Amino acid sequence: MTSLPQVITLPFTYLIFVGGGTVLFWLLWIFLTRQIQSKKKFTSSSEERDWRIPIIDSQSGGDSLFHRWDPRIKLCALVVFMFCVASLTQLFWASIALITAFIAVAAAHIPFQYPLRRVAAMGAFLSMFLVVMPLTAPVKPADTRIVFEGISWMQFNLRGFFLALLICLKAIAIALLTEPLLSTAPFSVTIQALARLNAPPILCQMLLLAHRYIFVFQDEAGRMLKGMRARGFKKQRNMETVRTLGNFLGMLLVRSFDRTQRVFDAMTARGYTGTWPNGVVFRVYPNDWIKGVFWVMLGCGMLICDRWLNAPV
Amino acid sequence: MHISDGVLPTVVSLGGYAAGLAIAAWSAKQIRPDDLPKVAVVTSAFFVASLIHVPIGPTSVHLLIPGLVGILLGNGAFLSISLGIALQSLLFQFGGLTAIGANAVMMGIPALISGWLFRALSRNNASRRVWVGATTGGLGVFLSVLMLALLLMTGGEDFVGVAKIAMYAHLPVLAIETAISGIVVSFLIRVKPELLDDAFTSSISGR
Repeated sequence: MTSLPQVITLPFTYLIFVGGGTVLFWLLWIFLTRQIQSKKKFTSSSEERDWRIPIIDSQSGGDSLFHRWDPRIKLCALVVFMFCVASLTQLFWASIALITAFIAVAAAHIPFQYPLRRVAAMGAFLSMFLVVMPLTAPVKPADTRIVFEGISWMQFNLRGFFLALLICLKAIAIALLTEPLLSTAPFSVTIQALARLNAPPILCQMLLLAHRYIFVFQDEAGRMLKGMRARGFKKQRNMETVRTLGNFLGMLLVRSFDRTQRVFDAMTARGYTGTWPNGVVFRVYPNDWIKGVFWVMLGCGMLICDRWLNAPV
Repeated sequence: MHISDGVLPTVVSLGGYAAGLAIAAWSAKQIRPDDLPKVAVVTSAFFVASLIHVPIGPTSVHLLIPGLVGILLGNGAFLSISLGIALQSLLFQFGGLTAIGANAVMMGIPALISGWLFRALSRNNASRRVWVGATTGGLGVFLSVLMLALLLMTGGEDFVGVAKIAMYAHLPVLAIETAISGIVVSFLIRVKPELLDDAFTSSISGR
Protein backbone atom coordinates (compact mmCIF):
# COMPACT_ATOMS: atom_id res chain seq x y z
CA MET A 1 0.00 0.00 0.00
CA THR A 2 3.08 2.21 0.12
CA SER A 3 2.87 2.70 -3.62
CA LEU A 4 -0.34 4.71 -3.35
CA PRO A 5 0.01 8.47 -3.41
CA GLN A 6 -0.92 10.35 -0.27
CA VAL A 7 -3.77 12.36 -1.68
CA ILE A 8 -6.02 11.14 -4.46
CA THR A 9 -8.13 13.90 -5.95
CA LEU A 10 -11.28 12.86 -7.71
CA PRO A 11 -13.64 15.05 -9.74
CA PHE A 12 -16.75 16.26 -7.95
CA THR A 13 -19.02 14.11 -10.12
CA TYR A 14 -17.51 10.99 -8.52
CA LEU A 15 -18.94 12.10 -5.21
CA ILE A 16 -22.42 12.04 -6.67
CA PHE A 17 -21.83 8.49 -7.88
CA VAL A 18 -20.42 7.39 -4.53
CA GLY A 19 -23.21 9.08 -2.61
CA GLY A 20 -25.86 7.68 -4.94
CA GLY A 21 -24.30 4.23 -4.71
CA THR A 22 -24.32 4.36 -0.92
CA VAL A 23 -27.97 5.40 -0.84
CA LEU A 24 -28.86 2.66 -3.32
CA PHE A 25 -26.99 0.06 -1.29
CA TRP A 26 -28.75 1.25 1.84
CA LEU A 27 -32.17 1.03 0.20
CA LEU A 28 -31.31 -2.44 -1.08
CA TRP A 29 -30.28 -3.46 2.43
CA ILE A 30 -33.59 -2.22 3.88
CA PHE A 31 -35.47 -3.98 1.10
CA LEU A 32 -33.65 -7.26 1.76
CA THR A 33 -34.20 -7.17 5.52
CA ARG A 34 -37.87 -6.37 4.92
CA GLN A 35 -38.04 -9.35 2.59
CA ILE A 36 -36.47 -11.66 5.15
CA GLN A 37 -38.91 -10.45 7.79
CA SER A 38 -42.02 -10.48 5.64
CA LYS A 39 -41.40 -14.06 4.58
CA LYS A 40 -41.82 -15.23 8.13
CA LYS A 41 -44.47 -12.74 9.11
CA PHE A 42 -48.07 -13.64 9.42
CA THR A 43 -49.49 -10.28 10.43
CA SER A 44 -50.37 -7.77 7.79
CA SER A 45 -49.49 -4.58 9.65
CA SER A 46 -46.03 -3.41 8.69
CA GLU A 47 -45.62 -0.90 11.50
CA GLU A 48 -45.40 -3.52 14.22
CA ARG A 49 -42.20 -5.31 14.98
CA ASP A 50 -41.90 -9.02 14.63
CA TRP A 51 -42.41 -10.06 18.23
CA ARG A 52 -41.31 -13.60 17.74
CA ILE A 53 -38.08 -14.54 19.36
CA PRO A 54 -35.71 -16.81 17.47
CA ILE A 55 -35.39 -20.32 18.83
CA ILE A 56 -31.80 -20.54 19.92
CA ASP A 57 -31.37 -24.28 19.38
CA SER A 58 -33.51 -24.73 16.30
CA GLN A 59 -31.00 -27.02 14.63
CA SER A 60 -30.22 -29.22 17.62
CA GLY A 61 -31.92 -32.23 16.03
CA GLY A 62 -29.43 -32.42 13.19
CA ASP A 63 -26.30 -34.45 12.78
CA SER A 64 -22.87 -33.10 11.89
CA LEU A 65 -19.34 -32.83 13.22
CA PHE A 66 -20.56 -30.02 15.49
CA HIS A 67 -23.60 -31.94 16.74
CA ARG A 68 -21.46 -34.90 17.72
CA TRP A 69 -18.95 -32.70 19.56
CA ASP A 70 -18.93 -32.71 23.37
CA PRO A 71 -20.56 -29.36 24.31
CA ARG A 72 -17.97 -28.55 26.98
CA ILE A 73 -15.01 -28.85 24.63
CA LYS A 74 -17.03 -27.17 21.86
CA LEU A 75 -17.71 -24.16 24.08
CA CYS A 76 -14.10 -23.79 25.19
CA ALA A 77 -12.49 -24.34 21.80
CA LEU A 78 -14.85 -22.11 19.81
CA VAL A 79 -14.76 -19.28 22.36
CA VAL A 80 -10.96 -19.36 22.30
CA PHE A 81 -11.12 -19.28 18.50
CA MET A 82 -13.53 -16.32 18.61
CA PHE A 83 -11.22 -14.34 20.86
CA CYS A 84 -8.34 -15.09 18.48
CA VAL A 85 -10.43 -13.80 15.57
CA ALA A 86 -11.38 -10.69 17.54
CA SER A 87 -7.68 -9.94 18.05
CA LEU A 88 -6.74 -10.04 14.36
CA THR A 89 -5.28 -6.85 12.88
CA GLN A 90 -4.84 -7.60 9.16
CA LEU A 91 -7.57 -7.61 6.54
CA PHE A 92 -6.20 -10.74 4.88
CA TRP A 93 -6.36 -12.92 7.98
CA ALA A 94 -9.75 -11.50 8.94
CA SER A 95 -11.04 -12.57 5.51
CA ILE A 96 -9.59 -16.04 6.10
CA ALA A 97 -11.47 -16.11 9.41
CA LEU A 98 -14.68 -15.15 7.64
CA ILE A 99 -14.23 -17.95 5.08
CA THR A 100 -13.51 -20.38 7.92
CA ALA A 101 -16.73 -19.30 9.61
CA PHE A 102 -18.72 -19.89 6.42
CA ILE A 103 -17.20 -23.36 6.08
CA ALA A 104 -18.05 -24.08 9.72
CA VAL A 105 -21.69 -23.09 9.19
CA ALA A 106 -21.89 -25.28 6.11
CA ALA A 107 -20.22 -28.17 7.93
CA ALA A 108 -22.74 -27.87 10.76
CA HIS A 109 -25.60 -28.26 8.24
CA ILE A 110 -27.26 -25.05 9.38
CA PRO A 111 -29.48 -23.30 6.82
CA PHE A 112 -27.84 -19.96 6.03
CA GLN A 113 -30.91 -17.90 6.91
CA TYR A 114 -30.14 -18.30 10.63
CA PRO A 115 -26.60 -16.94 10.64
CA LEU A 116 -27.58 -14.27 8.11
CA ARG A 117 -30.26 -12.99 10.47
CA ARG A 118 -27.52 -12.46 13.04
CA VAL A 119 -25.49 -10.49 10.52
CA ALA A 120 -28.53 -8.38 9.64
CA ALA A 121 -29.01 -7.54 13.34
CA MET A 122 -25.56 -5.94 13.39
CA GLY A 123 -26.22 -3.95 10.21
CA ALA A 124 -26.88 -0.56 11.81
CA PHE A 125 -23.95 -0.75 14.22
CA LEU A 126 -21.45 -1.86 11.59
CA SER A 127 -22.58 0.54 8.88
CA MET A 128 -22.09 3.36 11.39
CA PHE A 129 -18.42 2.37 11.54
CA LEU A 130 -18.14 2.09 7.75
CA VAL A 131 -19.59 5.56 7.22
CA VAL A 132 -18.13 7.46 10.17
CA MET A 133 -14.61 6.07 10.48
CA PRO A 134 -13.24 7.06 7.05
CA LEU A 135 -14.45 10.61 7.62
CA THR A 136 -13.31 11.05 11.21
CA ALA A 137 -10.14 8.99 11.61
CA PRO A 138 -7.31 11.45 12.29
CA VAL A 139 -4.95 11.76 9.32
CA LYS A 140 -1.45 10.42 9.89
CA PRO A 141 1.49 11.30 7.61
CA ALA A 142 1.46 7.95 5.78
CA ASP A 143 -2.28 7.86 5.19
CA THR A 144 -3.88 7.84 1.78
CA ARG A 145 -6.75 10.26 1.50
CA ILE A 146 -9.37 10.67 -1.17
CA VAL A 147 -10.42 14.26 -1.69
CA PHE A 148 -13.14 15.46 -3.99
CA GLU A 149 -12.58 18.56 -6.06
CA GLY A 150 -14.20 21.64 -4.64
CA ILE A 151 -14.82 20.32 -1.15
CA SER A 152 -11.61 20.14 0.78
CA TRP A 153 -13.22 19.83 4.21
CA MET A 154 -14.36 16.30 3.48
CA GLN A 155 -11.49 13.86 3.35
CA PHE A 156 -12.01 10.18 2.93
CA ASN A 157 -9.27 8.48 4.91
CA LEU A 158 -8.53 5.06 3.46
CA ARG A 159 -6.88 3.87 6.67
CA GLY A 160 -10.09 4.58 8.56
CA PHE A 161 -12.07 2.74 5.91
CA PHE A 162 -9.86 -0.34 6.13
CA LEU A 163 -10.07 -0.27 9.91
CA ALA A 164 -13.87 -0.22 9.72
CA LEU A 165 -13.79 -3.01 7.14
CA LEU A 166 -11.58 -5.08 9.45
CA ILE A 167 -14.09 -4.63 12.28
CA CYS A 168 -16.95 -5.68 10.01
CA LEU A 169 -15.13 -8.81 8.80
CA LYS A 170 -14.29 -9.89 12.34
CA ALA A 171 -17.77 -9.16 13.67
CA ILE A 172 -19.46 -11.11 10.86
CA ALA A 173 -17.05 -14.04 11.21
CA ILE A 174 -17.74 -14.34 14.94
CA ALA A 175 -21.49 -13.88 14.47
CA LEU A 176 -21.54 -16.70 11.91
CA LEU A 177 -19.61 -18.96 14.27
CA THR A 178 -22.17 -18.36 17.03
CA GLU A 179 -24.61 -20.58 15.14
CA PRO A 180 -22.49 -23.76 15.11
CA LEU A 181 -21.60 -22.99 18.72
CA LEU A 182 -25.14 -22.60 20.10
CA SER A 183 -27.66 -24.14 17.76
CA THR A 184 -26.10 -27.59 17.41
CA ALA A 185 -27.11 -28.68 20.92
CA PRO A 186 -30.27 -28.07 22.97
CA PHE A 187 -29.93 -24.82 24.94
CA SER A 188 -30.34 -26.61 28.27
CA VAL A 189 -27.48 -28.95 27.39
CA THR A 190 -25.25 -26.01 26.47
CA ILE A 191 -26.05 -24.38 29.82
CA GLN A 192 -25.37 -27.68 31.62
CA ALA A 193 -22.02 -27.80 29.87
CA LEU A 194 -21.35 -24.25 31.05
CA ALA A 195 -22.20 -25.31 34.61
CA ARG A 196 -19.82 -28.29 34.38
CA LEU A 197 -17.11 -25.87 33.35
CA ASN A 198 -17.45 -24.32 36.82
CA ALA A 199 -19.50 -21.32 35.77
CA PRO A 200 -21.36 -19.90 38.80
CA PRO A 201 -24.48 -22.10 39.25
CA ILE A 202 -26.74 -19.11 39.93
CA LEU A 203 -25.79 -17.58 36.57
CA CYS A 204 -26.64 -20.78 34.71
CA GLN A 205 -29.96 -21.24 36.48
CA MET A 206 -31.00 -17.65 36.01
CA LEU A 207 -30.04 -17.84 32.34
CA LEU A 208 -32.35 -20.83 31.89
CA LEU A 209 -35.15 -19.23 33.95
CA ALA A 210 -34.92 -15.92 32.12
CA HIS A 211 -34.83 -17.69 28.77
CA ARG A 212 -38.07 -19.43 29.75
CA TYR A 213 -39.71 -16.22 30.95
CA ILE A 214 -38.90 -14.37 27.76
CA PHE A 215 -41.45 -16.53 26.03
CA VAL A 216 -43.99 -15.90 28.80
CA PHE A 217 -43.40 -12.18 28.34
CA GLN A 218 -43.64 -12.41 24.60
CA ASP A 219 -46.95 -14.19 24.87
CA GLU A 220 -48.30 -11.63 27.33
CA ALA A 221 -47.01 -8.68 25.28
CA GLY A 222 -48.52 -10.06 22.09
CA ARG A 223 -51.91 -10.43 23.72
CA MET A 224 -51.81 -6.93 25.21
CA LEU A 225 -50.82 -5.39 21.89
CA LYS A 226 -53.67 -7.19 20.19
CA GLY A 227 -56.05 -5.75 22.76
CA MET A 228 -54.61 -2.27 22.36
CA ARG A 229 -54.94 -2.44 18.60
CA ALA A 230 -58.51 -3.70 18.88
CA ARG A 231 -59.24 -0.55 20.92
CA GLY A 232 -57.82 1.62 18.17
CA PHE A 233 -54.25 2.20 19.39
CA LYS A 234 -51.88 3.24 16.67
CA LYS A 235 -48.27 4.30 17.13
CA GLN A 236 -47.91 7.99 16.42
CA ARG A 237 -45.33 10.64 17.05
CA ASN A 238 -46.86 12.21 20.10
CA MET A 239 -46.72 12.19 23.86
CA GLU A 240 -49.88 10.10 24.06
CA THR A 241 -48.11 7.19 22.36
CA VAL A 242 -45.18 7.47 24.77
CA ARG A 243 -47.59 7.50 27.71
CA THR A 244 -49.46 4.47 26.41
CA LEU A 245 -46.25 2.54 25.78
CA GLY A 246 -45.03 3.41 29.29
CA ASN A 247 -48.22 2.06 30.79
CA PHE A 248 -47.90 -0.95 28.50
CA LEU A 249 -44.43 -1.70 29.87
CA GLY A 250 -45.65 -1.21 33.45
CA MET A 251 -48.61 -3.51 32.92
CA LEU A 252 -46.37 -6.08 31.27
CA LEU A 253 -44.17 -6.06 34.38
CA VAL A 254 -47.11 -6.40 36.77
CA ARG A 255 -48.83 -9.22 34.88
CA SER A 256 -45.67 -11.19 34.23
CA PHE A 257 -44.61 -10.82 37.83
CA ASP A 258 -47.89 -12.21 39.12
CA ARG A 259 -47.66 -15.10 36.73
CA THR A 260 -44.02 -15.84 37.48
CA GLN A 261 -44.66 -15.74 41.22
CA ARG A 262 -47.33 -18.41 40.79
CA VAL A 263 -44.98 -20.56 38.70
CA PHE A 264 -42.23 -20.19 41.28
CA ASP A 265 -44.59 -21.15 44.11
CA ALA A 266 -45.64 -24.21 42.15
CA MET A 267 -42.00 -25.13 41.59
CA THR A 268 -41.24 -24.72 45.29
CA ALA A 269 -44.23 -26.87 46.18
CA ARG A 270 -42.81 -29.60 43.96
CA GLY A 271 -39.50 -29.53 45.77
CA TYR A 272 -37.45 -26.98 43.87
CA THR A 273 -34.52 -26.02 46.08
CA GLY A 274 -32.52 -23.93 43.69
CA THR A 275 -30.84 -26.64 41.63
CA TRP A 276 -31.94 -28.55 38.58
CA PRO A 277 -31.67 -32.31 38.46
CA ASN A 278 -28.64 -33.36 36.44
CA GLY A 279 -30.09 -35.25 33.55
CA VAL A 280 -27.32 -34.89 31.04
CA VAL A 281 -24.37 -37.24 30.92
CA PHE A 282 -21.35 -35.94 29.09
CA ARG A 283 -18.88 -38.36 27.55
CA VAL A 284 -15.62 -37.33 25.98
CA TYR A 285 -14.12 -39.32 23.15
CA PRO A 286 -10.69 -38.77 21.54
CA ASN A 287 -12.53 -37.27 18.56
CA ASP A 288 -13.80 -34.42 20.74
CA TRP A 289 -10.28 -33.55 21.82
CA ILE A 290 -9.01 -33.67 18.25
CA LYS A 291 -11.66 -31.17 17.12
CA GLY A 292 -10.96 -28.97 20.13
CA VAL A 293 -7.22 -28.95 19.54
CA PHE A 294 -7.83 -28.28 15.83
CA TRP A 295 -9.89 -25.13 16.47
CA VAL A 296 -7.59 -23.77 19.17
CA MET A 297 -4.54 -24.38 16.96
CA LEU A 298 -6.31 -22.79 13.99
CA GLY A 299 -7.13 -19.69 16.04
CA CYS A 300 -3.66 -19.38 17.54
CA GLY A 301 -2.05 -20.07 14.16
CA MET A 302 -4.03 -17.29 12.53
CA LEU A 303 -3.16 -14.93 15.36
CA ILE A 304 0.55 -15.75 15.07
CA CYS A 305 0.50 -15.31 11.28
CA ASP A 306 -1.36 -12.05 11.77
CA ARG A 307 1.31 -10.67 14.08
CA TRP A 308 4.49 -11.94 12.45
CA LEU A 309 3.73 -12.39 8.76
CA ASN A 310 2.94 -9.61 6.39
CA ALA A 311 -0.08 -10.79 4.47
CA PRO A 312 0.23 -10.98 0.69
CA VAL A 313 -2.63 -8.52 0.21
CA MET B 1 -26.81 0.05 21.14
CA HIS B 2 -24.43 -2.73 22.10
CA ILE B 3 -20.82 -3.18 21.08
CA SER B 4 -20.32 -6.00 18.60
CA ASP B 5 -17.41 -8.38 18.19
CA GLY B 6 -14.08 -7.23 16.90
CA VAL B 7 -14.41 -3.59 17.98
CA LEU B 8 -12.78 -3.57 21.38
CA PRO B 9 -9.13 -4.41 21.97
CA THR B 10 -8.90 -7.98 23.28
CA VAL B 11 -7.47 -6.80 26.59
CA VAL B 12 -10.54 -4.61 27.13
CA SER B 13 -13.04 -7.35 26.26
CA LEU B 14 -11.25 -9.83 28.53
CA GLY B 15 -11.09 -7.20 31.27
CA GLY B 16 -14.81 -6.58 30.72
CA TYR B 17 -15.48 -10.27 31.31
CA ALA B 18 -13.38 -10.28 34.50
CA ALA B 19 -15.04 -7.15 35.89
CA GLY B 20 -18.50 -8.26 34.76
CA LEU B 21 -18.20 -11.70 36.37
CA ALA B 22 -16.85 -10.25 39.62
CA ILE B 23 -19.63 -7.67 39.97
CA ALA B 24 -22.28 -10.18 38.85
CA ALA B 25 -21.10 -12.61 41.53
CA TRP B 26 -21.37 -9.84 44.15
CA SER B 27 -24.75 -8.86 42.78
CA ALA B 28 -25.97 -12.47 42.92
CA LYS B 29 -25.01 -12.67 46.59
CA GLN B 30 -27.37 -9.78 47.37
CA ILE B 31 -30.37 -11.66 46.04
CA ARG B 32 -32.40 -13.88 48.32
CA PRO B 33 -33.66 -17.12 46.72
CA ASP B 34 -37.22 -15.82 47.11
CA ASP B 35 -36.41 -12.89 44.90
CA LEU B 36 -35.23 -14.99 41.98
CA PRO B 37 -38.57 -14.78 40.14
CA LYS B 38 -38.49 -11.00 40.40
CA VAL B 39 -34.97 -10.88 38.99
CA ALA B 40 -35.93 -13.23 36.17
CA VAL B 41 -38.99 -11.12 35.33
CA VAL B 42 -37.03 -7.89 35.21
CA THR B 43 -34.34 -9.61 33.12
CA SER B 44 -36.97 -10.66 30.62
CA ALA B 45 -38.45 -7.14 30.68
CA PHE B 46 -35.01 -5.71 29.98
CA PHE B 47 -34.75 -8.12 27.08
CA VAL B 48 -38.22 -7.41 25.71
CA ALA B 49 -37.76 -3.64 26.08
CA SER B 50 -35.24 -3.78 23.26
CA LEU B 51 -38.09 -4.93 21.03
CA ILE B 52 -40.42 -2.03 21.89
CA HIS B 53 -39.93 0.71 19.35
CA VAL B 54 -41.09 4.22 20.14
CA PRO B 55 -41.54 6.53 17.14
CA ILE B 56 -39.71 9.85 17.51
CA GLY B 57 -38.94 12.42 14.84
CA PRO B 58 -38.19 10.80 11.50
CA THR B 59 -37.16 7.50 13.05
CA SER B 60 -37.94 5.20 15.95
CA VAL B 61 -35.81 4.18 18.90
CA HIS B 62 -35.95 1.11 21.04
CA LEU B 63 -35.91 1.21 24.81
CA LEU B 64 -32.85 0.30 26.87
CA ILE B 65 -34.20 0.67 30.46
CA PRO B 66 -30.99 0.22 32.49
CA GLY B 67 -32.30 2.86 34.91
CA LEU B 68 -35.62 1.10 35.42
CA VAL B 69 -33.87 -2.21 36.08
CA GLY B 70 -31.81 -0.47 38.77
CA ILE B 71 -34.93 1.10 40.29
CA LEU B 72 -36.70 -2.27 40.44
CA LEU B 73 -33.85 -4.51 41.58
CA GLY B 74 -31.34 -2.38 43.49
CA ASN B 75 -28.12 -4.32 43.97
CA GLY B 76 -29.47 -7.28 42.04
CA ALA B 77 -29.71 -5.15 38.91
CA PHE B 78 -26.22 -5.95 37.71
CA LEU B 79 -26.89 -9.70 37.59
CA SER B 80 -30.15 -9.06 35.75
CA ILE B 81 -28.51 -6.78 33.19
CA SER B 82 -25.66 -9.22 32.56
CA LEU B 83 -28.11 -12.04 31.93
CA GLY B 84 -30.24 -9.86 29.67
CA ILE B 85 -27.18 -8.78 27.70
CA ALA B 86 -26.02 -12.38 27.38
CA LEU B 87 -29.45 -13.47 26.12
CA GLN B 88 -29.66 -10.58 23.68
CA SER B 89 -26.28 -11.53 22.31
CA LEU B 90 -27.00 -15.26 22.12
CA LEU B 91 -30.47 -14.92 20.58
CA PHE B 92 -30.32 -11.77 18.46
CA GLN B 93 -26.64 -10.90 18.08
CA PHE B 94 -27.35 -7.56 19.81
CA GLY B 95 -23.82 -7.18 21.08
CA GLY B 96 -21.05 -9.63 20.37
CA LEU B 97 -20.27 -12.81 22.24
CA THR B 98 -16.74 -11.66 23.01
CA ALA B 99 -18.08 -8.29 24.21
CA ILE B 100 -20.74 -9.59 26.64
CA GLY B 101 -18.58 -8.66 29.62
CA ALA B 102 -17.92 -5.13 28.42
CA ASN B 103 -21.57 -4.60 27.45
CA ALA B 104 -22.72 -5.87 30.86
CA VAL B 105 -20.42 -3.41 32.62
CA MET B 106 -21.55 -0.63 30.28
CA MET B 107 -25.24 -1.05 31.18
CA GLY B 108 -24.94 -2.67 34.61
CA ILE B 109 -22.96 -0.04 36.49
CA PRO B 110 -25.34 2.78 35.43
CA ALA B 111 -28.21 0.55 36.57
CA LEU B 112 -26.60 0.18 40.00
CA ILE B 113 -26.03 3.94 40.27
CA SER B 114 -29.61 4.70 39.19
CA GLY B 115 -30.95 2.21 41.71
CA TRP B 116 -28.90 3.67 44.57
CA LEU B 117 -29.93 7.21 43.70
CA PHE B 118 -33.60 6.26 43.43
CA ARG B 119 -33.51 4.66 46.86
CA ALA B 120 -31.57 7.51 48.39
CA LEU B 121 -33.67 10.32 46.94
CA SER B 122 -37.22 9.02 46.83
CA ARG B 123 -39.26 9.43 49.97
CA ASN B 124 -42.69 7.98 50.48
CA ASN B 125 -44.14 10.69 48.34
CA ALA B 126 -45.73 9.60 45.09
CA SER B 127 -45.07 12.65 42.94
CA ARG B 128 -41.51 12.92 44.16
CA ARG B 129 -40.98 9.27 43.36
CA VAL B 130 -42.19 9.82 39.81
CA TRP B 131 -39.78 12.71 39.26
CA VAL B 132 -36.87 10.87 40.82
CA GLY B 133 -37.79 7.79 38.76
CA ALA B 134 -37.82 9.76 35.53
CA THR B 135 -34.52 11.47 36.32
CA THR B 136 -32.71 8.32 37.38
CA GLY B 137 -34.16 6.46 34.39
CA GLY B 138 -32.71 9.10 32.09
CA LEU B 139 -29.47 9.09 34.06
CA GLY B 140 -29.16 5.34 33.46
CA VAL B 141 -29.17 5.89 29.70
CA PHE B 142 -26.87 8.90 29.96
CA LEU B 143 -24.26 6.98 31.97
CA SER B 144 -24.55 3.94 29.68
CA VAL B 145 -23.89 6.09 26.62
CA LEU B 146 -20.96 7.69 28.41
CA MET B 147 -19.54 4.25 29.16
CA LEU B 148 -20.16 3.21 25.54
CA ALA B 149 -18.15 6.20 24.32
CA LEU B 150 -15.34 5.50 26.81
CA LEU B 151 -15.20 1.83 25.82
CA LEU B 152 -15.10 2.71 22.13
CA MET B 153 -12.29 5.17 22.77
CA THR B 154 -10.10 2.42 24.27
CA GLY B 155 -9.58 1.44 20.63
CA GLY B 156 -7.47 4.55 20.06
CA GLU B 157 -7.97 8.00 18.59
CA ASP B 158 -9.48 6.53 15.40
CA PHE B 159 -12.58 5.67 17.40
CA VAL B 160 -13.22 9.15 18.80
CA GLY B 161 -15.41 10.17 15.86
CA VAL B 162 -17.56 7.05 16.13
CA ALA B 163 -17.88 7.55 19.89
CA LYS B 164 -19.14 11.11 19.37
CA ILE B 165 -21.69 10.08 16.74
CA ALA B 166 -22.91 7.26 18.98
CA MET B 167 -23.45 9.76 21.80
CA TYR B 168 -25.46 12.16 19.62
CA ALA B 169 -27.49 9.27 18.21
CA HIS B 170 -28.62 8.40 21.72
CA LEU B 171 -30.06 11.83 22.56
CA PRO B 172 -33.60 10.83 21.41
CA VAL B 173 -33.29 7.61 23.42
CA LEU B 174 -32.39 9.70 26.46
CA ALA B 175 -35.52 11.84 26.06
CA ILE B 176 -37.87 8.90 25.48
CA GLU B 177 -36.33 6.87 28.26
CA THR B 178 -36.74 9.69 30.80
CA ALA B 179 -40.42 9.98 29.91
CA ILE B 180 -41.05 6.23 29.89
CA SER B 181 -39.29 5.69 33.24
CA GLY B 182 -41.43 8.36 34.89
CA ILE B 183 -44.59 6.86 33.41
CA VAL B 184 -43.70 3.31 34.44
CA VAL B 185 -42.88 4.42 37.99
CA SER B 186 -46.15 6.34 38.30
CA PHE B 187 -48.02 3.36 36.88
CA LEU B 188 -46.42 0.97 39.37
CA ILE B 189 -47.15 3.34 42.28
CA ARG B 190 -50.82 3.22 41.36
CA VAL B 191 -51.08 -0.45 40.44
CA LYS B 192 -48.50 -2.47 42.33
CA PRO B 193 -46.42 -0.30 44.66
CA GLU B 194 -44.74 -3.26 46.34
CA LEU B 195 -42.63 -3.78 43.22
CA LEU B 196 -40.89 -0.51 44.01
CA ASP B 197 -40.16 -1.40 47.63
CA ASP B 198 -36.62 -2.24 48.48
CA ALA B 199 -36.60 -5.90 47.55
CA PHE B 200 -33.80 -6.71 49.93
CA THR B 201 -35.11 -5.31 53.17
CA SER B 202 -38.83 -5.86 52.93
CA SER B 203 -40.35 -9.17 52.00
CA ILE B 204 -42.21 -9.31 48.75
CA SER B 205 -45.88 -9.74 49.14
CA GLY B 206 -46.28 -10.72 45.56
CA ARG B 207 -49.79 -12.01 45.78
